[in-house]
Amino acid sequence: MSKVHPICARITTLLLLLLAVGFAAEPRRISVYTPQANFQVDILVRDGVDYVGLTDLLEPLGKLESRIAGSKLTLLFNGGSADFQNGKRQYRTSANTKLELPSNFLLVDGRGYIPAASITQILLHIADLSAEFHAAPRRLFVGATQFRYSAELRHTPSRLVLTFPLPVHPTSVIEKGRVRLLFRREPVVSNGADSVAYGDPFLLSTTFAEVPEGAEFVASVSQAATVSIGDGGRTVTISAVAPPLPATPPAGSPSASLASQPHPAASPAASPQSQAPRPRPFVILDAAHGGSETGAVFSPTLLEKTVNLALARRVQKELEARGIPVVLTRVADSLLTWDQRAISANTSHASLYVALHASSSGHGVRVYTAMVAPPQPGQSNRSFLPWELAQSPYLDKSGIAASMLAAECASEGLPVRSSSVPLHPLNSVTLAAVAVEVAPLGASANELGSPEYQQKIATALASAIASLRGKLEAAQ
Amino acid sequence: MISRKLQYVVAALVLAILAMGFYLVHLKRKAEFLATPPATQALTAPVNGPAGGMTLYLASDEDDSLRPSTISAAAPSDPGERGRLTLHTLIARYQQKDSAHLLGAAADVHDVYLLDPASAVVNLNAAFADSHRSGVEVEQLTVFSMVLTLKAQLPQLTRVRFLVEGKTRDTLAGHVDIAGWLDAAMVAEVAKDLK
Repeated sequence: MSKVHPICARITTLLLLLLAVGFAAEPRRISVYTPQANFQVDILVRDGVDYVGLTDLLEPLGKLESRIAGSKLTLLFNGGSADFQNGKRQYRTSANTKLELPSNFLLVDGRGYIPAASITQILLHIADLSAEFHAAPRRLFVGATQFRYSAELRHTPSRLVLTFPLPVHPTSVIEKGRVRLLFRREPVVSNGADSVAYGDPFLLSTTFAEVPEGAEFVASVSQAATVSIGDGGRTVTISAVAPPLPATPPAGSPSASLASQPHPAASPAASPQSQAPRPRPFVILDAAHGGSETGAVFSPTLLEKTVNLALARRVQKELEARGIPVVLTRVADSLLTWDQRAISANTSHASLYVALHASSSGHGVRVYTAMVAPPQPGQSNRSFLPWELAQSPYLDKSGIAASMLAAECASEGLPVRSSSVPLHPLNSVTLAAVAVEVAPLGASANELGSPEYQQKIATALASAIASLRGKLEAAQ
Repeated sequence: MISRKLQYVVAALVLAILAMGFYLVHLKRKAEFLATPPATQALTAPVNGPAGGMTLYLASDEDDSLRPSTISAAAPSDPGERGRLTLHTLIARYQQKDSAHLLGAAADVHDVYLLDPASAVVNLNAAFADSHRSGVEVEQLTVFSMVLTLKAQLPQLTRVRFLVEGKTRDTLAGHVDIAGWLDAAMVAEVAKDLK
């Protein structure tokens, strides 16, 4: 047997150590699903015990106030209260009941931490909320939020249809021989049949398991597969990719068979997009500001231009997962003039223009249309109009788009307001045009940089844009 | 038995602690006094003219609202001066510590010019725009609040335009377009949803 060179052994050890440090640095979180919102809370490990911050857990659920006096923390939540003592297990509720935590209460940097194992107990005694905590996958369901799916194998052609009571938007990963659906944001739980063997020529078997911070559905398939989402996100269909058409396209031209296929939801195996002709975009997303024009400065490290672009990318991803073609006015930190943005929109052949802004003032989402005079009688979108009044004939469509965007955000539990405003470049856009300004839900502007909050907004906007598609394209 | 020397030292230390405590309270009061914005002085600016009702459209960032509030203030007979005083009073309100829509401490309006009874040009100082918070909603509330307040004081007004230090500016603070004329009736119509 050959000896391993000492230098190689040291390098390997070093790499393994670095890898271990990398894994250790990955923060662990608990996914919390509530009727109002889904969010994640970070886990703090002390003496081998998992802890969660009381503020992180309770703040999104109601009115929270905490007072610290020495080593004592008094928590006021929705009319109830509780007293905790740093380093003690015992705590007292407003009903003067003495209760005990499985491990000591911690006060770290002015923030109270409870053992993760006591989350359901705390929610019940302080917030009067029933909850179910799945410890291994770190998923907390507050109230009756969890829902189950049904799976049905349909034939000719073979396909598996998963039906959900509420819209879902899983991340789909298509690998050789299997399709994985990852549910990060949805409180999907087992339907009682975690492992099913189908024995179908296409679909061999399926498994469902809760994984850290989510759930995973895996379908074992015998050939290349595609995933499509329908019924507003309530059905997910896994089907075989149709074989290519026999017709031979002219040399050098894009493959006709690929272009004719519907855009699958994240199916890299099935759709080499580089070969397909670019479809006409339905929506053009404009991340406002960029380059030297930063927009609002929320903190030295959080700028509006960055938040806008991150949000635009998330909305783009969500829309593409729904098969909706989308273009962005900017994909990097570049400066564009208002006229360049309007020209991009007007020449994109898209049906909808959405400008994205962010603000630390106020709460939730604001949807704006242009503040421009309505069209004169007899004036149409073919009339010659001044550049700054070009939006005028499209105001009705913009109004419909704004209403639907606002309604979808409201249905996601976000505070929302619609208005009109003189805002560049809305007045010069010759298609349905809206601007969306996102503000934090709480008092801290840092929420605007939170991936969870951005994703929540992006999902709501993408759902609204998807539901607008038929209406606007028909009108066009 | 505690030595007399130690007693003197302890007494001196107690005195020093008390003196430092008093000095700390004095410094705190001084800091609070200096932090108080001087803008409230504008409310009592000397003007000629009888006192009358002045309607201010006050913005609130908390609930994105614009609500009218009537106060008693001097009303100069010259419409331009009346417009300037009205906006001066409005801005002073926004500079108070408890304002629901804070403006910079140095923000002010230089002049209000009436080109004709229906057209007003508001000339703001540079600090007004430079210190204004950036955002669609927050800028919209400021602009609409000023237009509606001006319109309430000068009912014949149909359009308003803003200048900063006498020059046209594209946006107030990066968002809301203030380069052109704002239609007062359209602003009033949109503002109905902000109550």
